[in-house]
Amino acid sequence: MKIKIRRKYLFFTLAISSALIAALIAGIDTIATKEISDPGVLTLSCFILGVFVSFLIASILSIKIKGKTIGAMSIDPNFNGIRLFKKQEIIYLIITGFGNALFTLGYFYLLKDIGDASVVLPFTQVTILYLVIFESIAEKDTPTLIEVQSAIIVTFGAILGSISLGNGLSPVNLAVVFFVINPGWMIFTIYQRKLKLLKIDNKTNDAVNIRVWNVFFAMIISILFILIIDLYNGTNSIINCFKQTINYAWIMGIIAFGTFFNFIFYIRALGIGKASVTQAVKSSVIIFSIPVTIVLSLFGYEGLGSDPILLLIKFIGVVLIMLGISTFALTLTKAYIFIKIKPGYDLEETMEKIWNIKGVNRVCAVAGPYDFMVKVRTRTLVKGYERILSKIQEIPGIKEYKWQSVLKEWEDI
Amino acid sequence: MINAYILLNMKPGDTDKPIAEMRKLKNVEKISVVAGEYDIVVRVKVSSLDILLKVTNKIQMIDGVEKTTTSIIEKEIAL
Repeated sequence: MKIKIRRKYLFFTLAISSALIAALIAGIDTIATKEISDPGVLTLSCFILGVFVSFLIASILSIKIKGKTIGAMSIDPNFNGIRLFKKQEIIYLIITGFGNALFTLGYFYLLKDIGDASVVLPFTQVTILYLVIFESIAEKDTPTLIEVQSAIIVTFGAILGSISLGNGLSPVNLAVVFFVINPGWMIFTIYQRKLKLLKIDNKTNDAVNIRVWNVFFAMIISILFILIIDLYNGTNSIINCFKQTINYAWIMGIIAFGTFFNFIFYIRALGIGKASVTQAVKSSVIIFSIPVTIVLSLFGYEGLGSDPILLLIKFIGVVLIMLGISTFALTLTKAYIFIKIKPGYDLEETMEKIWNIKGVNRVCAVAGPYDFMVKVRTRTLVKGYERILSKIQEIPGIKEYKWQSVLKEWEDI
Repeated sequence: MINAYILLNMKPGDTDKPIAEMRKLKNVEKISVVAGEYDIVVRVKVSSLDILLKVTNKIQMIDGVEKTTTSIIEKEIAL
């Protein structure tokens, strides 16, 4: 039997599960950086095993029982078996792969240098700020004051949560944070979302295939990266990479396994929410990474300091992150607008005009008492009125419209 | 596949029970409780008009539903 749950809960379940897995993986990453010293080797072996593991899991998920794949029943209802990437996906996949490779390389470099995942992870969350800025430039939906505020609160929280004495941040490390890790992750997130929103053979794209092909492209791109470095330096670390991959297959295999599910949930959440909001929820990874670090320090891997002031600062950081996330969560309003148009106006043209209004998420031309049903999402009703209704009134040919605010919503998962 | 919106007007009274029953229906994709001219907007996905009739029939049989208005989607643009 299918279950319908509230869309908001589904979104949070997905984003937070992804964060939880990410925190556990970060713990294993810390161990891995102790075993393998070269970040390039780590990145490459991560992707090589990633490709291997992803294809393996995806093939298992493709097994059909009663005409439905195991994957569709368990992790993504849109999954209909593993398939080759489509022509329309290639450019997006290359860009996503590039972002992923860039991010992973920077992340392992920093993790190697600092040695504590609960310090490194928060820095990767600065992406939220990048995303908010990017969305205001490129996406249909301009961030509102509340979104900008929450994003800043979350980012500052993340920075506070990661403050740590002793592991001084060198200028090089900061440069890696701001110019390698976060831009990489931003590209990765935006294009993964674009992939998820693509229609493949008239059906919504599924997270499993996106992930499988993303790892594949990231692997090719990171091989190219390393080959270029080899050519430039006259070294041949690529062979070393393959050797190390085989040596540490067990630990990198675990990482690849966890990462796979981490991203399936993340990509699905991206299909529901805006990139910046999804990322903000995912930054709860910082909260989860603290217990992971504590456990690791019990096993002799260096971790959290015991200075009470430092712990207080970290605690303040965590509170800020949670505040920011809940503000994001609780301030979204949705509505349907039902529209009738006058005879003598082109339906498709009017549809296009409605679609071009910011905040409009869906336009349906329907047969029934109305001509269009429009779904809008807005942070505040005032903005909804100013930005959406006044624009609709400007469109010629609209005879009548009815605004229906959504109070509560359930959806198939 | 045919997608359609079914707009519902409800009798005054408890809406939680009818919603719980609608949530059990297989073809129902989304249920939104709204404030305005209608009370509930249901989105359904069916393979044929025949099945759409069955679904609307099931919905109007639910105790508490006063009136249903079905609008079949002809074209859709969505994020």
